[in-house]
Amino acid sequence: MNVPATPLTISRFRSTAASVRLSVLQFVADPQWLIPSMIAPIIFGIVAYQLVLGSGPYFVVYAILGAGMMSMWGQTLYGSGWATGQDRVFGTLEPTLQAPTPYVYVVLGRILWNVVSGLVGGAIVYVVVVAESGQIPAVVNPLLFVVLFLFVMVTLASVGVILSAFYVYTRFAGFIQNIGEFAFYVGTGCMFPVIFLPWWTNPVSLVFPPTWALDALRYGSIPGYQGFAWGFGWDLVGAVATMTVYLVLAGLVFHRVERHVLEVGTLGDY
Amino acid sequence: MTPDPAIEARGVRRVFESRKGFLFTEKSRTEALRGVDLRVEPGEIFGLLGPNGAGKTTFTKILSTLLLPTSGEARVLGIDVARNPQAVRPRIGLVLGGERGLYNRISARENLRYFADLFGLPPALRDRRIQEVLDRVGLTEAADRRVEEYSRGMKQKLHLARGILHRPELLFLDEPTIGLDPKSARETRKLIRSLVSDGVTIFLTTHYMFEAEELCQRLAILSKGQIVARDTVAGLRRLVGGDTTVEVEAYGFEDAEIERLRHLPGVGRILSEEFGPRLRLTLRSSSSELTAGAVRSALGTAHPDLMVRERRTVLEDVYLDLVEEEAA
Amino acid sequence: MATTEAAAVVRARPTFWRNFWTNAILSPRTTLGFMRIDFVLGTIFVIPLMQILFFALTVQLGNGGASGIAFVAVGNAVATVTYPSIFSVCQTTDSEKEQGTMEHLLVSPAPRFPMYVGRGLIPILISLATVTVGLVYAVLFFGVQIAAGSIPFLAVSVILSAFAMVGFGLLLGGIALYLRSSIVLGNIFLFIGLIVSGVNFSVSALPLPVQLIGYVFPLTWGLAAVRASISGDSLATVGPLWLIIVLTGAVAVGLAMGLWRNFERRAFSTGSIVRF
Repeated sequence: MNVPATPLTISRFRSTAASVRLSVLQFVADPQWLIPSMIAPIIFGIVAYQLVLGSGPYFVVYAILGAGMMSMWGQTLYGSGWATGQDRVFGTLEPTLQAPTPYVYVVLGRILWNVVSGLVGGAIVYVVVVAESGQIPAVVNPLLFVVLFLFVMVTLASVGVILSAFYVYTRFAGFIQNIGEFAFYVGTGCMFPVIFLPWWTNPVSLVFPPTWALDALRYGSIPGYQGFAWGFGWDLVGAVATMTVYLVLAGLVFHRVERHVLEVGTLGDY
Repeated sequence: MTPDPAIEARGVRRVFESRKGFLFTEKSRTEALRGVDLRVEPGEIFGLLGPNGAGKTTFTKILSTLLLPTSGEARVLGIDVARNPQAVRPRIGLVLGGERGLYNRISARENLRYFADLFGLPPALRDRRIQEVLDRVGLTEAADRRVEEYSRGMKQKLHLARGILHRPELLFLDEPTIGLDPKSARETRKLIRSLVSDGVTIFLTTHYMFEAEELCQRLAILSKGQIVARDTVAGLRRLVGGDTTVEVEAYGFEDAEIERLRHLPGVGRILSEEFGPRLRLTLRSSSSELTAGAVRSALGTAHPDLMVRERRTVLEDVYLDLVEEEAA
Repeated sequence: MATTEAAAVVRARPTFWRNFWTNAILSPRTTLGFMRIDFVLGTIFVIPLMQILFFALTVQLGNGGASGIAFVAVGNAVATVTYPSIFSVCQTTDSEKEQGTMEHLLVSPAPRFPMYVGRGLIPILISLATVTVGLVYAVLFFGVQIAAGSIPFLAVSVILSAFAMVGFGLLLGGIALYLRSSIVLGNIFLFIGLIVSGVNFSVSALPLPVQLIGYVFPLTWGLAAVRASISGDSLATVGPLWLIIVLTGAVAVGLAMGLWRNFERRAFSTGSIVRF
């Protein structure tokens, strides 16, 4: 009686595509989203530029990276989790979880969209800082810079998946994320190298894939950069390894979290 | 080989725990379901009735894989919902209704397209199927308008359209006609009947007794988390004393008079209710020989103010009798 | 007896103070879940430390030196006031819309001023605690020196700033009435404040038009008063700043009231209260 089943992977990735589509439709339907995706990067660019003016010849790169990361946090991390929070508010979390597609594929779609809008934010930051400083940033290898920038986005997205699970778990995730926002900026070294922090905090920083990816990005862009002693190559390995752990965890965590909310019966709470 | 029942619940219990308080939180437990046993056969419309807070939505959510039972076993289409919800989900539809549960900023068609993709409808079939369900619930003209512009009734229809989009074998309807005007409610009931003729099993919760009576082959009444009765409408009428109801009202009755009424043909039970100084006795009988005239004769001329009314026992009578009995 | 009671119910109008307290205590709990002790403690103790640390280390990267670090430490300690004041106050508007309680609020006969201002009480208290903790961090970990004699002026500056910022939060809440969601608006003002209010660098470093925007924000004046108090300036310097803080706060509350009134009128004519 029901619709003939299509191969599971196809239908799951179609769900992801549907989720991207829904994100775009909702973005278009609500123009105030232009504020975080367009205006916030401009503000971040101005603040970051002012703060790192005296940091040497590569201050423009620092400003772009720092402001870019702050902007992408808003889009990629915050946006992805927040969308699940909105599902709670709209009451659509229940029908979405009742569908046979695992929710993680829906989240994946949202993250993909947020990665794209995060990249737009990063580009805006670039333009703002370049306009403010009047100089094109001197990076060692521009192509590598762009590739690594994209890589940082992907690592941020892996954290976004875990955060989304948190939003399914509890309606209070938004508050917790607000409280943790600056802690994440500090811990991942989005504006300054993590080695500025006391050594005993480093293990906490290294838990986050973006910490490794950002360090790699600076190694790849700034001549003479002093980050983690193990250098560029191992930073990449660390980033890929932690990200893999995150993605595996995300699969497990989503499964557990979905199960947990069915146990406690808090899906309808908002 | 007999087919699996559409629904089979054995001893389903559900306890909710919550905390309250600011500094020192206090834990409280509410037992929403206290051991529910139920069996629904394929192809039938089964109604679950019960007062607010009886546990109807909790039970519906357990069966539709949105909530786990604390204990007991619930099988839907032969599959354990707690152990294998993923296998159940593509084969069932759920209509919770209400103002929430839809993406308000996009159109009805876009809402349906999104959920069609989540249910894995092949693209070639998807758009045709969306149009079919829009036609079926009467939303075709408004299909491309944002849902936030919809009336409550239109949202209810969209909920229903989403529930049947993937052609489920079993459809859970939680108060499907709530908020609908009489015409739309009638159309919805017609749609429900047509789904059954397509072979869909319907599990329906409602507060509208006439709706349950009109639609359901079998019913269960849930009160305080327990099933207090389950049968066909006729069977439930028998349970409370029969098809015929006679109401007798006066300024009080002697015990001997009540005893005389009890011996009238087929009288199964007599319920009494006070209205200020007046007392109303409700007699249920399985015999068509219990008439207003028979009651008047039994009481004689002692009550000049006597009021007697004869009517058919309706589901509402059954419901009120059983729920009040349980409450008492 | 029953008739008298019924008449009393019909005649009943909420008093100013009861209305104020009901909104002060109930509103944050019902609309925000904000009264969970762990979140309140997180707001008070974690946000200031992390925000100050982030900007202090950024300044260190920019070779801002000890004076630069002390500058951003004080700036961000005071700027943390924006979380409880702006976010929590303007988010109540979102929650009222989402929960469908907005219509009931608007049809109630309650006087609007205590209703809206009452919502600011708990955020004011949390704001005060947050800024105080932030300043303690600034002294303990970031080399800020505060003479004992400056503390009374500092306390007044902080208290007035918290009041004014909550007033500003009410204003944003008023603007949020016309939007689908206020959280985005709150975020923007949070970060605009970081630029134009002299949190991380002096307002004078900005182009003149941007400086002028900064002067509209109560935070700009609050920060100036706090910095002057810490420097041990006299009442002649700090007093006028206090006056301006009060003025900006009062204007914000006045505008917020105006927005609410206008929204009520528009909402009744367009029926757009509950969209979210």
